[in-house]
Amino acid sequence: MKVVTGVVGNDIHVVANRLIDLSLQARGYEVFNLGVNTYLEEFFDAVVETNADILLISSLNGEAEGWCREVNILKSKYKNILDNVVFMIGGNLVVGTGDSNDIVPRFQNYGFDLVFHQVDLNTGLDALEKYMSEKK
Amino acid sequence: MSLLQEEREIILNNEYVDNFDFAEVEDFVKNASKDLFISHNFKTKNKMLVQPRGGFPTYDKQYALNEFFVKANVDVLPLTIDSNTRLNDYATAKKMLRLSEENEIDMLNGYPLVNHGYRTTRKMITHFNKPVSLRHGTPDARLLIETAIASGIFEIEGGPITYLLPYSKNFPLDKAFLYWKYVERVCANYSKLNEPINRESFGPLTATLVPPCITIVIQLLEMLLSLEEGVKSFSVSFSQTGSMNQDIVTGAVIRKLADYYAKEINCEDASIHLVYHQWMGAFPQNKDFAEQLINMSTVIASMVGADKIITKTREEASGIPTKEANAKTVANTQYTLRILNGLPKIADEEEEENLTQEVMDIMSAVFNDSADTLWRKVFNSIKNGTIDVPFSPHIINNNEMITVRDKNKNIRIIKRGKVPISDKCFKYEKSKCDLTKDTTSIVNDIIHDIGIMQW
Repeated sequence: MKVVTGVVGNDIHVVANRLIDLSLQARGYEVFNLGVNTYLEEFFDAVVETNADILLISSLNGEAEGWCREVNILKSKYKNILDNVVFMIGGNLVVGTGDSNDIVPRFQNYGFDLVFHQVDLNTGLDALEKYMSEKK
Repeated sequence: MSLLQEEREIILNNEYVDNFDFAEVEDFVKNASKDLFISHNFKTKNKMLVQPRGGFPTYDKQYALNEFFVKANVDVLPLTIDSNTRLNDYATAKKMLRLSEENEIDMLNGYPLVNHGYRTTRKMITHFNKPVSLRHGTPDARLLIETAIASGIFEIEGGPITYLLPYSKNFPLDKAFLYWKYVERVCANYSKLNEPINRESFGPLTATLVPPCITIVIQLLEMLLSLEEGVKSFSVSFSQTGSMNQDIVTGAVIRKLADYYAKEINCEDASIHLVYHQWMGAFPQNKDFAEQLINMSTVIASMVGADKIITKTREEASGIPTKEANAKTVANTQYTLRILNGLPKIADEEEEENLTQEVMDIMSAVFNDSADTLWRKVFNSIKNGTIDVPFSPHIINNNEMITVRDKNKNIRIIKRGKVPISDKCFKYEKSKCDLTKDTTSIVNDIIHDIGIMQW
């Protein structure tokens, strides 16, 4: 299965991004890592270009909140091309402190199937694998 | 008019720059106090020089910071530049400077040197009469360096590799090499007038599990790129690795090989110095623990025999430090250095031999690249993964190398990617590690290894 991943916005925190890449590969995914400092359009274009099954966006500095409000608007511009793509987001999703119970549904509304706020990397990836196998 | 002078005119043709009077600047450098030159301080002060980090937006705050440092018996003053200036965005820097001046809130994370201009800044620098080190992170530092030298700042940190690979995702590396070539030439030219301008490379890189062989190769290459343009005083540097033994071995090998490669290009007349950065990774939140860590770094720097140490503060984990906290580290570090006597001489020949071999393996691969000039060879070597910096955000970096800590916390290479260290060296690296682990536990180890100084 193919995954496009990267860090959204002007966030340059690279460490977790590399570890996500490594961990996905270890789980047998084919990874297209766009790295840090990636804009939504770049993610979407890469998904189309690689015919990816999953888009995994991450955020460390909390910029996700600002950028991800645009996900559904942008999705509609791509018509039905992205209908079968699983949208996942993880990391520190808001600036400052926030409650997961509020954040998760908010990001689901933005257009994400799977939302992980301050969740351990492997827990998140286990959930992704479970979601993908149930989806089949 | 020479090509260099023509390029100069173009760079200075910028609405944010004050009018450059080159004849006056030349005269100033020629007659400047020797105390302002760190190259002179290295020769005359028989001790490890202590330099903090720091930069505030306004002239007044920077002046006050320097006063605190001088009271704490600082050897070298820092001048850290704000991030807008680093990206050549002088318009934003100007606006943020005005806001900082009018509202007493710092809107910049450093001193916007280009906007302040050299006439103003020179007043502060000549007043304190201490060497100043320019700390920035700028890929195109041409205007910044002209302004710095005209201000009396005679140490310039950075380089085309060390100021790009840790900081940028897609600034073109080939451009950075050419912009830095200009910087080297300007430094070399001014070096003829008085004591030499010192250039310093930024060894910490990403400060995240970078193996010593990669650090040393990049230090040596930036040194050679600088010396070949005529720079006569250069500092190689590295940051605390997390293992005292690995630091001592790294210090010994980098010194030995810097002399060796300088001689190879007939530049043995240049003086080479060694700079040690106190721990550059994630700091403990507990400020008392942070002070313990800083103190230990100072002890290791002494064991390494560094010529200069660059300090952190007890407030590292929480943001830009206050001038009080910053000056406190300087005073503490000076105290530790004064009471630290009778150090034992430690050498680990096996580790030194292995590290020397790794560095020489990579250096020969760089020199064997078919390009015609050194900067092009280095450019190609980064592009093809001969040089691979762990955790660099830059798109040109190969990102194949994987490193972990062994049981003594030495950084070891468990996947070499395209970095051409010999099979023998690679086997040695791996022999120190537990290779039976699966990727998931290696990832957990890496997370732990990055954060070893946190509690």
